[in-house]
Amino acid sequence: AAAGGLRRAGWRLWRGRAVVRCQQYPPLRALQASAALRRASDEHKKEPLTSSPQQHFDSPPAGHQPEQEPQGPRPSYTGQGGQESEDYESEEQLQHRILTAALEFVPEHGWTAEAIAEGAKTLGLSVAAAGMFHSDGSELILHFVSECNTKLSELLEKEQKLVQLGEAEKKPIDEFLRDAVEARLRMLIPYIEKWPQALSILLLPRNIPSSLNLLTSMIDDIWHYAGDQSTDFNWYTRRAVLTGIYNTTELVMMQDSSPDFEDTWRFLENRVADAVAMSNTASQVQSTGEAVVQGLMGAAVTVSN
Amino acid sequence: RALLSRPAAALRPLRGLAAGPEMHFGFQSVTEEERREKIYQVFESVAKKYDVMNDSMTLGIHRVWKDILMHKMNPSPGTLLLDVAGGTGDIAFRFINYVRSVRERQLQRKLKHHQNLSWQEIFESYQKDKFNSLGDSQVVVCDINREMLKVGKQKAQHLGYSEGLSWVLGNAEELPFDDDKFDVYTIAFGIRNVTRIDLALQEAYRVLKPGGRFLCLEFSRVSNPLLSRLYDLYSFQVIPVLGEVIAGDWRSYQYLVESIRQFPPQEELKAMIEDAGFFKVDYENLNFGIVAIHSGFKL
Repeated sequence: AAAGGLRRAGWRLWRGRAVVRCQQYPPLRALQASAALRRASDEHKKEPLTSSPQQHFDSPPAGHQPEQEPQGPRPSYTGQGGQESEDYESEEQLQHRILTAALEFVPEHGWTAEAIAEGAKTLGLSVAAAGMFHSDGSELILHFVSECNTKLSELLEKEQKLVQLGEAEKKPIDEFLRDAVEARLRMLIPYIEKWPQALSILLLPRNIPSSLNLLTSMIDDIWHYAGDQSTDFNWYTRRAVLTGIYNTTELVMMQDSSPDFEDTWRFLENRVADAVAMSNTASQVQSTGEAVVQGLMGAAVTVSN
Repeated sequence: RALLSRPAAALRPLRGLAAGPEMHFGFQSVTEEERREKIYQVFESVAKKYDVMNDSMTLGIHRVWKDILMHKMNPSPGTLLLDVAGGTGDIAFRFINYVRSVRERQLQRKLKHHQNLSWQEIFESYQKDKFNSLGDSQVVVCDINREMLKVGKQKAQHLGYSEGLSWVLGNAEELPFDDDKFDVYTIAFGIRNVTRIDLALQEAYRVLKPGGRFLCLEFSRVSNPLLSRLYDLYSFQVIPVLGEVIAGDWRSYQYLVESIRQFPPQEELKAMIEDAGFFKVDYENLNFGIVAIHSGFKL
């Protein structure tokens, strides 16, 4: 049984699925979970977690969060074998899928529980599954923002690889920032009509910690790929400046009606130029100040002699 | 409380199952069959005064509890609701009202989008949607007690609810419905009276669609000691008296109060719901635990 368990574990890892970690839950619960599995479908193709709830699998480093609540494998409720997409490992993954499916209904229904309900319907679940989420749609928006941030990171990563391989030129800092912010804002275009609603929901006190977190990590990402290695106060000023640029450009984009948002990109260009000029000016002032001080010191020495 | 004898609880090795024929009926000890009989008789006799008694016992707060349940459910048009032990129809009527108002808002929003249609087309689409004021939502009220259903049907007629509503006689432990049929299953102040709670939960799991939601509104354990004492005082001194004065039946209300004390507390019920196979099980205390809403999903 142990060998069988290890083989199953190996197969699971090979298939690249995040494996459930069965942690300290009472055996009774585990038995009941698999009882539900057996009841739900006899033609279940996946190897069920049958009689040994104490098997411990190591989750792959891909970062699957172990569930607080005990989990058995999902019952395959489509019943007829072959629908392997119904075998979810965790509630979170199911929730992700529902939210992703719900995104296509956002232009019609807005960022609401209705969009989530429609998304759940396309996955074959009942509309009541939208009850898993908050009724104002905040999880949907946060999910979308985090997906966009992930896409942006991947894009920047790809570009960096190209530069490292020597297939592309390293962009000057202002162009890099401009392109990164533009790429990120372009992801909003399909949902631009309902985005003001989303922004207002993100500003609710309840959502501010999460939305702020997502924003700062995105800005951090952009600076990281821009090659920022600062360890002094510059780190904070750079991020504050870019956050300001991003937010103001986003707001401008909400009201922009020019073809392909040209006005927005021009605004962005100007702001980035301003920021770069300001930092140049700052360093110039600093070096001028140093030069002035040195000059005074020299004069003092001369006078004293 | 030394008076709180729980013979059945001591004999129960697994949650929710009776070890032998000994079960509790309030603070008495009876067999399973006797319990079913007695509970049927209780509700047969209180049916006509059920709503009045609810209002006087809870000082009308039960309406708020049921409204909160409906808001938590947040049903969208097209939802199929099964209201078990729904007797006099309180939940069903609220559901219909809620879905109707959501549908109206939906239609208004659709109308706003139709900026470029001619007046004729707008008129036609409005007409078509008007006949669908519930958006295909339906509620089935199921109850084991004929008297309670009778009172419910009369109320529906009196208040003018006819569309999307049906009444079925059935036992929560053995529902007369097919698998995977309903979007939401509710049982408000009814699961306490079910003799085999585990069977009722399993049936709930069976009739729900994948992704469907289980909602249970029920009296539960008050953990705050001061409040608990006041609550006990009110329950055992005031409520049976009200029962005698208003409904002429103190025994039934004595049973009611005792059954609340015998019912498993929040965490235990949550574990029982998880045992039936539900996921994301959670509960929300209302009024410091006097009432609790348990929710689970069939995933």
